[in-house]
Amino acid sequence: MADPMSAEERDALAGELALGVLVGEERAAAMRLRLSDPAFAAAVNDWNTRFEPLYAGFAESPAPALWPAIQRRLAAPDHSRIRRALRLWRIGAVASSALAASLATVILLRPPPAPVEIVRPPEQVAVAQLGTEEAPALLAVNYDPAGGVLRIRAVRLPESRLAPELWVIPADGVPRSLGLVASGGSSTVAISAANRALLQDGVTLAITLEPRDGAPHDAPSSAPIAAGKISAI
Amino acid sequence: MQDTRPTQQRERLSTALAAVADGDQAALREVYDSTSAKLFGVCLRICQDREAAEDVLQQVYVKIWHRAGRFDAQRASPITWLCAIARNTAIDWHRANMVAHLPASAAAAVADPSPLAPEMIEAQQQSARIFDCLEELDDRPRTAIRSAFYDGLTYAQLADAMTVPLGTLKSWVRRGLIQLRGCLGDG
Repeated sequence: MADPMSAEERDALAGELALGVLVGEERAAAMRLRLSDPAFAAAVNDWNTRFEPLYAGFAESPAPALWPAIQRRLAAPDHSRIRRALRLWRIGAVASSALAASLATVILLRPPPAPVEIVRPPEQVAVAQLGTEEAPALLAVNYDPAGGVLRIRAVRLPESRLAPELWVIPADGVPRSLGLVASGGSSTVAISAANRALLQDGVTLAITLEPRDGAPHDAPSSAPIAAGKISAI
Repeated sequence: MQDTRPTQQRERLSTALAAVADGDQAALREVYDSTSAKLFGVCLRICQDREAAEDVLQQVYVKIWHRAGRFDAQRASPITWLCAIARNTAIDWHRANMVAHLPASAAAAVADPSPLAPEMIEAQQQSARIFDCLEELDDRPRTAIRSAFYDGLTYAQLADAMTVPLGTLKSWVRRGLIQLRGCLGDG
């Protein structure tokens, strides 16, 4: 595909992303580019480096009680936060309100284009929506790191004799199977200890359609039909 | 940046982040002790509310705790990486919470001709280049870029606040960014 952007425009886009002025689809497109194009990611990083000195002189000590509060957040799941997270997640899933748009980020696996809305709730629960450009919410996922249990709700998956297989794609880019999931309704997947370590904030989840035999497979045999990024563990 | 102190600090932070990635909470404390004032400044500047900024700062360190494994010392400076997390978290808060207050707060933000406190002057000496380069921009691109940076405003909010069409505002900012990069001459 021909690149319609000049090098200069591309660099300005990296600057816009670092500056934070983009929203909605523009921000989504820039974030997809950052994921798929290391040179663009480096350009965004260069802009962060250029801007960083602008914060010189703003340093201010936070309240002393803050560190203990952070330690508590690292230690204990807070159920009111989880409920709030799920409520926000539903808002984000259903409506593209200003709130949802402001919280949404979009991710792409190539191919095919698969932007996905993600809501960033507080830390103890991770959520992701997996989908494609035409259908952003094919599956909804939430993950409770404390229990190591992933719940998947298939909202609208294509009819197929193949079964949906869920993959986690960590920073090394190598998909690891988390097993088959139901093509309708909800399923629960217990995550092995080895895979728990991979389910960090920011990794990509993807669904491919695979033969039932031999699952979980070593590697996907086809392009993902849905993908999304896990957010805020 | 040729000074050895920033280099040592950078190495110390990179080492601490590597330990955080391995689940070392004492290392997170070390990162917190050496960076929380700076990151709190970032959050406070964008949130404009102490309580909100403290809540955002907690989220920032929890994110650092979970994301430290993704920090690549070969590619990024640790403080830049940490500032970007703080900035993005604060901007998310701002976008989710400030909608109702716009455009009045945005107008006030862009009307502020000089967000530079006196105590910044000294700090500026070390990093004067970006400040000098901003000064070289035309007024409107400079105002727009500064407001975007310091107040976390979007294109649409900036256009409202500066009462210009969105397209005009975008071209100011893009032109400004291209000019900034040329001025900084860092590749």
